[in-house]
Amino acid sequence: MSSNAVSLYLDPQIRDWVLFPITLVMILVGILRHYVVILLQSQPKKLSRAAIREQRALVRAQILRATSAKSPIPPTYYKSISQHLSKAFNDGTYLKDGPPEGDAPSKPPNPLTDPAAMDGMMSGMKTQMVMMVPQMIIMGWINFFFQGFVLIKLPFPLTLGFKSMLQRGIETPDMDVRWVSSLSWYFLNFFGLNGLYRLILGGENAADASRDMASPFAAASAAPQAPGQAQDYNKLFKTERDNLEFAEGLYSWVGNDVEDRVLRRYGKLP
Amino acid sequence: MSTTPDDTAQRIYTPNVLHNNVLTTIKFFSSCFAGAAAGILGLQNWLGFALFIASTLLTAFVIYVVNCKGRPTKFVAGGLWELVNPGQENAFSFVLLWTLFFGIVHVYD
Repeated sequence: MSSNAVSLYLDPQIRDWVLFPITLVMILVGILRHYVVILLQSQPKKLSRAAIREQRALVRAQILRATSAKSPIPPTYYKSISQHLSKAFNDGTYLKDGPPEGDAPSKPPNPLTDPAAMDGMMSGMKTQMVMMVPQMIIMGWINFFFQGFVLIKLPFPLTLGFKSMLQRGIETPDMDVRWVSSLSWYFLNFFGLNGLYRLILGGENAADASRDMASPFAAASAAPQAPGQAQDYNKLFKTERDNLEFAEGLYSWVGNDVEDRVLRRYGKLP
Repeated sequence: MSTTPDDTAQRIYTPNVLHNNVLTTIKFFSSCFAGAAAGILGLQNWLGFALFIASTLLTAFVIYVVNCKGRPTKFVAGGLWELVNPGQENAFSFVLLWTLFFGIVHVYD
């Protein structure tokens, strides 16, 4: 083992009482966060059968359109489904409140007063709070209890700029940046434990710290759109009808001249 | 073969794609063990990172030969790069375990 000029001798009790406890606490707090988020999530609001039918009709049309250029459905079936949906959208048979009577314009519900959309926004904000608060608490705990001593030596070099962050509380201007305090061990754990969380808690875990640092506002803005109740289905149906007609123009069946292709593959046709 | 991206997207079988998650797990384990090895061996500076790169390449090579049988595009949607790329999470896990074992073995007595 090579010993460089300044090789500090550290008390093994630091390892037992600081190194392992910090890691253990962070792992456990991460798991706790995950389960707290799961418990805090309110049940998605149950929609009435008519409302679900409305949404599903739109999805059906989209699925049909998605593969229309190389469609696995033969022409008779495709055309019949497409025309049936087109007619239904036109007449408004799938609308939640029945076909629109006369020329009464339908207003989308105001997101601030509609209780369902509020739930969506609240759950997004609650998730953010649950993510941020434990991190602050642990940082405060570490700064309070584990301050003022060297914890570990990093095996890789860093620039002097990191000295102020990683050696906080140790007033030695000449010491190698590789000897760091407990806060830097916190940061290492913060980034390094995500892989472990993915292993223990599955892919979509709420303990992933880097994920909520990267998109704090994307999550908050995505939440209100999830219920989708502020959308006017009448207009959507009209646009979908146009899309269906467009897709019907693009339509072609994969098995269109399959007999020629098979014969050609086996060399019976030039 | 002139398949547009649309066609190939249509032909991907979703349960198999979900199963490909085992690839991520394998990469995580390999970076963990590489970190432990680097720490125990006392590798410093660029030698440690070299071990990380070597272990990533070795893992990718073994998966390539044994699992994909030389045709990664048939099994993995992202092709060769998805096999080799360890991802940011695994790099940080490597560094964490490297520091941990280096500290336990070489810094503390």
